[in-house]
Amino acid sequence: MPPSKTIIELRQLLSERFPGKRFSAEKAPSANAVWPSGIAHIDDLLRGGLPKGGIVEIVNQRKNSGSALLMAALLRKAAAENQIVTLIDGMDSFDASAFQPETLARLLWVRCKNAGEAMKAVDLILRDRNLPLVLLDLALNPAKQLRKIPATTWYRLQRIAETTPTIFVAITPQPIVSCAQIRLNLTRQFSLEDVDLEDQRLLAKLKPELAQHRLILGEPPEKRAEAG
Amino acid sequence: MFAVIYIPDFFLQAALRHEPELWTRPVALLNKELKKVVELTAVAKETGVCPGLTSTQALARCPTILIKTRSEAQEEAAMNILLECANAFSPKIEATAPGICTLDLQGLSVATVENALLHLWAKKVIAQFSKVLFRAQVGVAENPDLALHAAKIASPFYFVENSDEFISSLSIETIEPPPEILNILGRWGVGTLGAFVALGKDKLAERLGAESLELFERATAHTIRPLNLVRPKEIFEETMEFEHEIETLQPLLFILRRFIEQLSRRLELFYFVAQEIQLSLKLNSGEKLERSFRVPSPTRNIETLFRMLQTHLETVQTDSQIVALHLAAKPAKPEHFQFGLFETALRDPNQFYETLAQLTSLFGSDRVGTPVVENSFRPDAFRMEPVNFEAEKVLPISCRQKPGGEFSKHLTFHDFSANRQSAALCLRRFRPPLPVLLEMRGGRPALLNSEKFVGVIKNASGPFRSSGNWWEPEALWARDEWDIQTSTGELFRVFTQDGDWFLEGAFD
Repeated sequence: MPPSKTIIELRQLLSERFPGKRFSAEKAPSANAVWPSGIAHIDDLLRGGLPKGGIVEIVNQRKNSGSALLMAALLRKAAAENQIVTLIDGMDSFDASAFQPETLARLLWVRCKNAGEAMKAVDLILRDRNLPLVLLDLALNPAKQLRKIPATTWYRLQRIAETTPTIFVAITPQPIVSCAQIRLNLTRQFSLEDVDLEDQRLLAKLKPELAQHRLILGEPPEKRAEAG
Repeated sequence: MFAVIYIPDFFLQAALRHEPELWTRPVALLNKELKKVVELTAVAKETGVCPGLTSTQALARCPTILIKTRSEAQEEAAMNILLECANAFSPKIEATAPGICTLDLQGLSVATVENALLHLWAKKVIAQFSKVLFRAQVGVAENPDLALHAAKIASPFYFVENSDEFISSLSIETIEPPPEILNILGRWGVGTLGAFVALGKDKLAERLGAESLELFERATAHTIRPLNLVRPKEIFEETMEFEHEIETLQPLLFILRRFIEQLSRRLELFYFVAQEIQLSLKLNSGEKLERSFRVPSPTRNIETLFRMLQTHLETVQTDSQIVALHLAAKPAKPEHFQFGLFETALRDPNQFYETLAQLTSLFGSDRVGTPVVENSFRPDAFRMEPVNFEAEKVLPISCRQKPGGEFSKHLTFHDFSANRQSAALCLRRFRPPLPVLLEMRGGRPALLNSEKFVGVIKNASGPFRSSGNWWEPEALWARDEWDIQTSTGELFRVFTQDGDWFLEGAFD
């Protein structure tokens, strides 16, 4: 049933008086804004790209599944768009010499010695709310260090991230972020023949599997039904 | 029409400006040279202490009295603040005396005889002074001298509507006659200016001499003297010398916050923002710790400026106690920045640089920043530079790549490195490279013993030879690299240098 004339008038009056407010009858703004990673099959899998305001966990299931390759692709894509990228390097393993100076010029690199330091850094960076893409690389951190990160820490980071338009990607050797909005398992193991292949061919060879895709609050019900 | 802003007990107010809680305690201010009390709080007056006493006499009358000494730096800063605030209300101002500023209201909308309008204006003036921690009194009259008399008796505002009536009600002491004349007038029973003027100019001259003519002129106050106009210096500084040395951070931060609040309010009067903050700490040993902070996005936001100082001070350790604090703000006009359609700039640069400062204090400057690859073929040669995303508006890479990505005639290291590396699987480096035991069979790596892997090498590619700095015997380096795949499928890069084998990283 269409709303009565009085209600329409009341809504108009309220929207004039309080232009910044949104009323429950209106449709919520899209809560699942995404940033395309530029890798077609990953973007298809993630329904458009990496979501903003949530945690994306990329699990490097085998030691050479291509997580560093994927991270490099994200860095290059963001730099090409003139975006600022933050890399929190859990074991100080980032190879800067593999990148053009233009890519590095838009990079904030935090070189940590262990996972504890990395978690402190990511907490500060997420609270800053200035940085659009935050990469947390824990791929080389030993399981002993990762086990020491309390699950509540991830929930806290998720709470911070969901209030920002930041894309937060955590690269881990095993699934540890239980509250991740998206978990992507990289399952392929690259061989020695792949070492010198062109990056586009290598990226095409990545084998991502969507292990978890949670909807964030505020998403329209029809989307939830779709995902369910 | 003229207005006078009068700060009663100016020296004391200047001394206690950053410690307003002391107004409820007995405090006496001593003259530096004579060591005698010049001004004191109302609570001190109640205990019987009066101006002119020595500190010993004051302490004898009130053992709990707090003795402070006049500080020229604080008084000068206070006078400048007085002029700054007055300048916000009239462009024509005079620094009449310490704690007294005369304003010419001619041409201003408030220069009317409407009492209500003037009251409103005076209220604003007093509120403004209260923001910079001064108790001000305002007097408005048709000439500067009358306005000063009015300001002195105001509580806190007095508007002289009828000059003659006002003069006649004033005490004879207002015109500050010499003691001998005051004595004579007292014996005559002349107590007010009205009675003094009624004696007549000629009669007074006959009996009291030429000196009385000047007093008569002052008492009638019908002449308008020209103002000696000044402009405030626009120096935004706050200084404090501590009675007791400061040893911990908390009291220092407490004072600093007050300083920042004051500087911010003063900058606001000129529609300025702070582009640089200079902090100076004087230590008991005589040493001075000075530090300048560039404000990435000039602002007068108290929280932003305070956090900048707090983050720095949390990492500072001094050899001796702090005896004085000086804070100055370098003013600038506010920047107006419009974000572009494709937003890439920092939304809040101050917040970002604050976060950077926190990260740097946690990890050190060599572990936070932007990497810059050295112009060398030596593997993993890079340096960390401070982040400066604002310095250069970098064009998107897609606009600058050469068509086809071909090597240019003069190949640089960056071209070589990036082209070689971007077309390959990425390496995760072990820093420093891990020493390993590697066994060669038939000229190829066969067995690996390292903390990352122990076992058979299934496949290997190499050797890739590189060397550099042959012109410097001390820095000369040469190595052979092998890319290997272990029996479990893991991919590593190993290299040999000076006969030793190292694990450089893992491909991922």
